[in-house]
Order: sequence, then structure tokens, then C-alpha cells
Amino acid sequence: MMIADILTGAIRSGTSVMLASQGELISERAGVINLGTEGSMLCGALGGFAVTVWTGNPWLGVLAGGIAGMLISAIHAFLVLACGANQLATGLTIMFFGMGVTSFLGRGFVSEQIVGFNPVPIPFLSDIPFIGGILFNHDPLTYLAILFVPCLWYVLFRTRLGIVLRATGERQEVLFASGINPKLVRYLAVLAGGFLAGVGGVQLSVAFTHSWVENMTQGRGVVAVALVIFASWMPARAMLGAYLFGAAQALQLTVQQQGLPISPFFLFMVPYLLTLAALLIVERKQRSLMPESLGKVFAGDGAR
Amino acid sequence: MKQQAGAAALSPANGMTRGNRWKPAALKTALMLAPFVVFGLFLLFHNVNPVTLYISMIQSTFGDLYGFGEVLLKATPFILTGLAAALPAKAGLVNVGGEGQLAIGALFSTWFAVFYLDAMPAALGIPLMLLAGALGGGLWAAVTALLKVKGGLNETITSLLLNYVAAFTVGFFVHGLLKDPNSFNWPFSPEIASSLRLPVVNGTRLHVGILLALVLAAVTWYVLARTRLGFRIRVIGSNRFAAERAGFRINRTYFWVLVAGGMLAGIAGMIEIAGIEGRLRASTGVNYGYLGFLAAMMAWNHPLRIVLTGFILGMISVAGNTLEIASGLPASSVHILMGLVLFFILGSGRRSS
Repeated sequence: MMIADILTGAIRSGTSVMLASQGELISERAGVINLGTEGSMLCGALGGFAVTVWTGNPWLGVLAGGIAGMLISAIHAFLVLACGANQLATGLTIMFFGMGVTSFLGRGFVSEQIVGFNPVPIPFLSDIPFIGGILFNHDPLTYLAILFVPCLWYVLFRTRLGIVLRATGERQEVLFASGINPKLVRYLAVLAGGFLAGVGGVQLSVAFTHSWVENMTQGRGVVAVALVIFASWMPARAMLGAYLFGAAQALQLTVQQQGLPISPFFLFMVPYLLTLAALLIVERKQRSLMPESLGKVFAGDGAR
Repeated sequence: MKQQAGAAALSPANGMTRGNRWKPAALKTALMLAPFVVFGLFLLFHNVNPVTLYISMIQSTFGDLYGFGEVLLKATPFILTGLAAALPAKAGLVNVGGEGQLAIGALFSTWFAVFYLDAMPAALGIPLMLLAGALGGGLWAAVTALLKVKGGLNETITSLLLNYVAAFTVGFFVHGLLKDPNSFNWPFSPEIASSLRLPVVNGTRLHVGILLALVLAAVTWYVLARTRLGFRIRVIGSNRFAAERAGFRINRTYFWVLVAGGMLAGIAGMIEIAGIEGRLRASTGVNYGYLGFLAAMMAWNHPLRIVLTGFILGMISVAGNTLEIASGLPASSVHILMGLVLFFILGSGRRSS
């Protein structure tokens, strides 16, 4: 029973990180690291929550949250791609800016309550013992998020769009030769990443906690960035990593409910330490798989 | 005659004539002012008159000794955590862990102050407490450094993740082993002995910590710019392959610059405890590490310029309190202004060194 609880909780609390990591993966595949994912998630969480409060429609919240996350990532894209700013510093500033903006604009929403997304068991499938409860008893946004992963894999590795995206991160000269502007691809990739991180934030505030709390992402965006490296830039592995993180979060809740005598602070640490351990284990593999131009902003002759 | 020839020879090298020399300066000024204009629009939108607010912000920071002292107080940790980022940056490393290193430095110094240094005279106790802070920050940075050198992990991600672990570690201690037994269950440590508090300038809260920060900035600058060690660090940072060819021990340098950076941040933590708070709280020094990193970015990792950028960030932080009192906006809105300032600096085009 406890294991089923933890696994269900893993999906509940890990999906926000999972969505953000899929977004970061798109951005990094195109060669841009975005530490501002944390800021995008916060903006998404607040934007989605606010619109859900105003309209009562969580789907409009998803849209709003995605757009909020995308807008703030647009700042990152502009500073990095147009101004040649340092990616890590810019991302960090976005994270900080996101904290400031959301704690300012979110003041009025702290005590608001919403219905938001709630679990919709899938008929028949959710009746399967053990697995049914874990996999098929979630809110619609979570189902969509899980379905998104194979779609992203398909786009990345089976379509022309995916080839263009991956080539942007590996060898932009090739793209120039085929008449595509790699800078444009990078812009779109960062924006898409920001959108997904924003939706991840919405999952957190509108589907998981049903509330807005200042700085509620608690480093989930940073974890998402770390997980992309752990995942060697592969969507399914990023999902695995995110649900591992989610499981560690769920474990903490379960242990607290059971009243076991373990300090909650140790349990809070576990997800972050687990992420570090995961990074350490896969380190050797990841290096050869890293998109070649990652971290170096493209500023070739034809770009200006 | 000679001078003229010299000037003529110089000007093409500078790539600009007298006519457009002012252009970059004007552009720079515009870029410095732009965030304040944008923030002013934001204030107008919230029915606050930006002009009167900016004036009261300046008055509160430069108007009297107390206000100015507050700015220097805020600037102190920013300078130190800025150095914690800048020193590794010179070797080509990105240390975003100042936040956690400061927290663990504060934890170590409080632990030692409460349990071992309680009865010590100031002349012995304060330096020992300082060492404890440096030890804590250094040890915490050593985790990142070891993972970098032995595990090959990217220090940016590691140090960021460890910031959260550090915050929970401090939380654990102030809720448990280090909780004040007389606190009526509030989560903070007992107060450190008054003999361990840093000496204060009369009429302000300003303590000698700022002097220490200035000295450490100067030392960092001297080591980097004037010593053989600093030269090696800079070579590793600018051209790893040349450094490898020259037989420099790169991993060893990586390890020690990260640890030294951590020690600087740890000292910032100690100063917060001994200079201002007097006891450890979970909220001690929150965000100071990130702000220090940004101070370093603004200064392009130049140790002496960090004094200036740390001061600017300190000014904006103190002005945030005015913002809250004078306009009813929450203090967090100052983070928006800070973000805007940094966006414009980052966007001004110069690549970091």
C-alpha cells in the first residue's frame, strides 16, 4: 500500500519537474542552457493559478501559465542570442527576476482557493490492481504531460524538424548550408522550453497543490536542468529522472504521515541529493552525448 | 609634437575618433538609466509617483549616517559572495554556490560560538569564529570541488543543487540541535556571547565587517593580478590547453579556487551572525549568495569592481525598505528593479571574461 502511495505521489509531484525538463531538453538540444527555467515555472505557476481563479477554467490557466513562462524565457533568448550575454548569468537573473515578479504579483492570491484539475480515473484501466491506481488515476494535465514525452521523442528523432533542432545544437554550419537560420531555431526552442516550464508550473499550482505559495517551485527548475544532463538529452530518461525526484518528494510526505521519527529536513534534502547521485552515476556517458555547441552562443558571420 | 604623434598613433588603435567617443558613453548612461525608467513606469502603474520615491530612496541611503551605514552593511556580504564567485570564475569555473557556502559558514560559526567560544575574550573568540565560518564555507565548497575534480560533474549545477541542501541543513539545526531552549519553540539558535559581536560604529549598526570585506577584495585582486599563483589561475581560465601544456596542475587549482571561494562566502556568513543577527535563523543571508554572484557578473569578475557593484546592490536593497514604507509596495518589488538593472547590464553586450 505504501509503495503504491509513493509511486502515485511520484507522478503527482514529479510531473511539474518532468514538463520543465522536457522544455529544457528542447532548449539544450538547440544549444541554449536556460537556468531561468525556475523563473519560468514560477511565472507559469502564478499565471496559471491567477487565470484559473478569474475564469474558473483550468485549461485557460494552462494556456496563460505557458505564455507567462514563455514570455520570461523570451528575455533569456533575447539577451543570450541577440546580445551575446553569458547564458548562466542571464538564466540566474531570470530566476531571480521571476521570484521578484511572482512574489510581488502573487500577494493577492495566497489565500485564494480553486477547484483546478482533479484526478479523472480512466475507466477499466484504473481498475487494474496496483498499476491502475498508480498510472491511471490522475488529472487530465498529467495524462497530457505523460503523452507528450513519446511525442517529443518522435519529433526529435523521426522528423525533419527534429533533425533541424538537433543540428542547431551540434553543427550550425550544416544548417547554414541548407538555408536555415540557426538563431531562429534557437529562439523558438527557448520559447518552447519556457512554455513547457510554464505549464509545469501550472501543474504544480493548479493540479498538484491547488494553491499559490510564494517561491513554491523550491528549486524544481534547477532540478529540471540537472535532470536533462542526467538524461543525456533523451526525453524518456528525463521523465524517469523527474519521477525519481517525485518519488523522493512523495516518500517525504508518506514518512511524515506515518509519523516515523526522521527529521523532515533530511527528507527535504533527499530529492536534491538523489539528483546529484544520479548525475554522478551517468557522468561518463553524458559527455559524449552532449550537444556540441551547448553553452557557446552562436554568433557566426551570417547571423547578423 | 611628440605627444600629438602619440595621440594620432593611439586613436586608430582605439578605433574611435573624437566625434563618436561620446556615443558609447551616452549609450552606457542610457542603459544604466533605462531600468529605472522601466521600473518607474511599473510604479506609475501601481499609483506610486516614481520621482518622489526615487528621491526618498536616495535620501534614505545617503541622507544620514545611519542610512549610509545600512548600505555598507548590506554591501558587505554581497562583496564577499561576489568574490566567492569571481575567484573561481578567473579559473573558468562558475560557482553559484555562494548561497549555500554562506549558510554553512553561518552555521559553523554559530555552532562554535555557542558551544566552544562562549567564554572567550573577543580578541581570541572573534578570529576563531571567523575561522569556523571560513571552514564551513570551504568544506561546503569542497563538496562541489570534489564532485568536479573526481566526478567530472559540472560545478554550476552541483553548487546550485547544494544550495538547497544547505538551506535544509540550516533548517535542521535551528529546529533541532542548535535550537535556543528559551525560544518558546521558535526556530533559531541561542544568541552568541556579546563578547563575540563585532565592534560597531556609534549611532549605526555598521560594524567592522565592511573593512574585512574591503581587505579581502584587495587581497583577492592582488593574488590574481600580481602573483604567480594568480597568473596560473588566469591562464587556466583563459586557455586550458596552454595551461595543460605548461604542466599546470589544473584539477588541483580547480579544487583550491572553489574552496577559497567557499571560505570567502563562509566568512560572509560569520559576519552576518557576529555583526548583525547575533543568532542563526533559517532566513539568515537568504539570497545573499545569488546577489553576490550577480555583483560579480556586473563587475566582470574584477575583485575591486565588485566592491562597487556590491555597494550598488546594497543601495538598491536598502532602498527596498524605503519602497515598502513610502509606497506600500512589498519589499520584494525591489527584486524586480534589481532584475531589470541586471538585464540591461547583461544586454549591454560585453562578454564576460
